Amino acid sequence: MKKVIENIVRCCLFSMLVFLHESCEINQKEVMPEDGFLKIYNHPEERLSFYPESIIELTGGGYLILSAVKDEESEIEYPTTNLVRTNSGGEVEWSNSLDWLAPSATLFHSGNQIGFVAMNQQFEAHVILVDPANGEIAATHPLVVTMPLVAKKDRQGNLVVLGYDFVTRSSWIASYSDNFILQRSNQLSVNTDLEYLVQRHLNKTGQDFPFFIKEYQTPDGNGYCVNCFYNYTLRGVFLDEASLGTTGDIYSFQIEEGISSLEHKSGSRFGITSYYEGNNYLLPDVDIDVSVSQNIKDLPGNPLYELTFKAAVCSGRISTETAEYTLFISQTNSSSLVIYQVEQESDSLVMTHYQSFDERVEVADFIQTADGGISILAGIHILGKYRRPVVVKMPEEQFIPEE
Amino acid sequence: MLSALLFSMGAAAQRTGFLDHLRIGFGAGANMAHIIDLEPYNIYEDLTGETYLNSYSGFAQNIGNQYFIQIEWFNQFLVANLKPGTYSYRFSKFNEVVFTNETIEEEVTYLLRYLSVPLEVRYNIDLQRFRPYAGISVSYSHLLGSNDPVNRTFIRPRFSAGLVAGTYIDLRYVILDLNAGYLSGLHNVASKQERFETGSGATFAQDDLLLNNLQFSLSILFSLQKQRNYSNVECFY
Repeated sequence: MKKVIENIVRCCLFSMLVFLHESCEINQKEVMPEDGFLKIYNHPEERLSFYPESIIELTGGGYLILSAVKDEESEIEYPTTNLVRTNSGGEVEWSNSLDWLAPSATLFHSGNQIGFVAMNQQFEAHVILVDPANGEIAATHPLVVTMPLVAKKDRQGNLVVLGYDFVTRSSWIASYSDNFILQRSNQLSVNTDLEYLVQRHLNKTGQDFPFFIKEYQTPDGNGYCVNCFYNYTLRGVFLDEASLGTTGDIYSFQIEEGISSLEHKSGSRFGITSYYEGNNYLLPDVDIDVSVSQNIKDLPGNPLYELTFKAAVCSGRISTETAEYTLFISQTNSSSLVIYQVEQESDSLVMTHYQSFDERVEVADFIQTADGGISILAGIHILGKYRRPVVVKMPEEQFIPEE
Repeated sequence: MLSALLFSMGAAAQRTGFLDHLRIGFGAGANMAHIIDLEPYNIYEDLTGETYLNSYSGFAQNIGNQYFIQIEWFNQFLVANLKPGTYSYRFSKFNEVVFTNETIEEEVTYLLRYLSVPLEVRYNIDLQRFRPYAGISVSYSHLLGSNDPVNRTFIRPRFSAGLVAGTYIDLRYVILDLNAGYLSGLHNVASKQERFETGSGATFAQDDLLLNNLQFSLSILFSLQKQRNYSNVECFY
């Protein structure tokens, strides 16, 4: 009988161990909704197409999402502006439509307000500042640039805007102080008339060109890399920060090939994605002399056959508890968002993340959030038909490689 | 754990007459899953402020099944039994996406197969051939793997508890156990970390759920004690 009792006690102890182990899995109190989520923002009107442009995390938590909205019944061919504010779990708090046309990335903080660049019906670029509490316009400031293609707030708080001047047929780069006073500008002659292509880019009926503005700091000086039309081609043009004068560039064949994203690493080292001859390429660590003109094909690249044709790519740096990484985010032919995670220190591709969808997706923007995770903004075709914004929030833990 | 318990009991049985109070058998039955949506997580957010339907199939439509072996120890009034086996639950989730001229309803079907070990304690009344009983049941379950990616959105363990009632029917050499019970889940079974890993579609997110169920079973038990003489056949002696 004593042996029986001993065995039963052993069984009870074993059961308690199992219970304790399973209780750990049952207790999920540490997992919060804002750590990771996926939200698709639908508008019931079938005639509207949403082209997401930019996402920003708000100071008190939550996100603001900027989209260009094309109404197929509208008499104005250019898309209008839509802003959506969500809470930190991605749930809509308000949505507001504005008459400003062709909003261009990127959203930026300006005091207590959030700003972006868009144009009026005369193609004149303006800064629009909105109150993040309700989406109402707080102020607007005219910029001298026309046909704004992309804007960026730099480290010093200056606003740099890329536009296109259809009178002089040139790309127009201008820098503004934090109260939007013009500091300097430069016009890069395209030498050919690309107004029609720029119009089609702005009104979302033609090719979506990968215009961007990035910053770099080298021992020889700081500057911007602006991907724009210049001297017949789509080029990554290096501009001196102080004068906005060109120093060098990376060129390709006319406007059919080019750089899709660029991230400065250190010194003369850059991470680049590009597309040419029908393929996309990842160049996670290349040496670039910003003072010379060079051909994109002279830089060794790893082909990315899985990406869509002339794939849009968003690049940026993130910091985790353990290391710094450069992320290149794009989309595959099999309707997945893909993230290439390259370690800064070793320049090696440490992880590739996929987020699958049933329908076609296209990345628009991403940010690292205050909690260390990332939020990706993309466009998705709901039911294969209606283009809408989608936000994927991923926690920081996903970007920490297992030992 | 079960085999260790049986081994212990078997070893002692010869000395204590334990076998005289043991019944072993097997059973099967049907169940109806009752889904309680603790907190919905809709993947779609409507920009005009509308909320989309996010619901589960009704109680009567969620027919699942269970197969188990049954081991019982009993005395004059009390029965304690274990019914380890596979318990499968079926239900569906309905999601709506609303547009001006069309409304799309998506249905996702679930099949959750658990390896469960319910422990029941029953109080029974001896009415000769029939012995009706009522009691309580607690159960530990472990979700079995599946190729369905939706399976990943659930945590593996599940604890439940509830009430059972039924009757034994003594057929002299075998005993039937007709049993009904309602078991309530004691915790959320959705995985909060994996709630969006619903497969390639990503057309819905897993809500926080309680998985309750009403189950009906029929078991056949073989008593290891000497049979009692109360059947119709015995009347002719």
